[in-house]
Amino acid sequence: MFYLSQVEQNLKMPPHLLKPSLLDGELEKGIRGELEKRFLDKVITNLGLCISVYDIQSFEGGFIFPGDDGCATYKVRCRLVMFQPFVGEVIVGKIESCDEFGLQVSLGFFSDIRIPERFMVQPCHRGEDGIWVWQFKVDNEEFQYSLDIDEEIRFRVASVKYPPTPVEQSENSEPFSPMEITGYINGDGLGLVSWW
Amino acid sequence: MKIEKANAGNLTNFEVFDFLRSRGATSDPMGCIGSVSPSECKVFEYLSGSPACMQTRESVNEFFRKADKFEFITSFEKLNIVNSTPTVMPALYATIKDCDKRIAKEEEQIAKENQLEEDQLQELLELVKEIFPQPAEEQEELSQ
Repeated sequence: MFYLSQVEQNLKMPPHLLKPSLLDGELEKGIRGELEKRFLDKVITNLGLCISVYDIQSFEGGFIFPGDDGCATYKVRCRLVMFQPFVGEVIVGKIESCDEFGLQVSLGFFSDIRIPERFMVQPCHRGEDGIWVWQFKVDNEEFQYSLDIDEEIRFRVASVKYPPTPVEQSENSEPFSPMEITGYINGDGLGLVSWW
Repeated sequence: MKIEKANAGNLTNFEVFDFLRSRGATSDPMGCIGSVSPSECKVFEYLSGSPACMQTRESVNEFFRKADKFEFITSFEKLNIVNSTPTVMPALYATIKDCDKRIAKEEEQIAKENQLEEDQLQELLELVKEIFPQPAEEQEELSQ
């Protein structure tokens, strides 16, 4: 689910952040703060969601370029903890909502996980209250298992997509999600954790 | 920004949990303020509810060492198993991709090989249960 990514960034340190760091001798702390502001909770295309700054490997520079409002520019090499599940990984999440297209699952820190109807346990149908129900038939007996909201669900990652940022969005459209994970639960051991 | 190495190493859930804990994250969301950001706190909260919070560095290393002898699983699958610690066979099937296809090879040998691979899967499951005991089992042992 998580992996390290090594990046190099030209970081501009504003003077109001530099002054306390340099006085304390803790420039690294100041740089870390700026890195966190830049990367934390942001999605980097094809790398994933940045969870944390793992460590700072080196930084150099500190030159003040003309026209930069006194910001010192440092070239920082650091490692970031990225969240990007690999295709085929099995993850446990919570069902957040369901609609006519399928389920939406959340991990707390990441909610753009969808399980479309075609990837759900078959056969299933949507009940009157909007909850999806799995009809399981064995030896002429039929069992109904419902996929309720807030239940823990184990799913396998089918794909991780990074849709391009839309240039224009109409007012009523859904908020743009930069990283979308599609999961499927049609398999042994998948589906609600309580089933197995 | 320049990406020097897109993948500088995979991390198990336990390693991320340990890293965040050493940075000062706790289960109490109010206690986290100051040392870690709210989003890191959310990740910590998620990992606290997963099997990763019960693991130790030694147990994870031990599992990787002992799982080496199972040739049919890849390193990604070992990572998957450590992160999800399946305790029942269907959960193990879910973590190993195309489990049934790998087991059934040539038609003449299906029955014999099925049994061999099934035994290996059972052995793998026992290894997982041994190295990563579930909290419920630990409580049962305590009450006895």
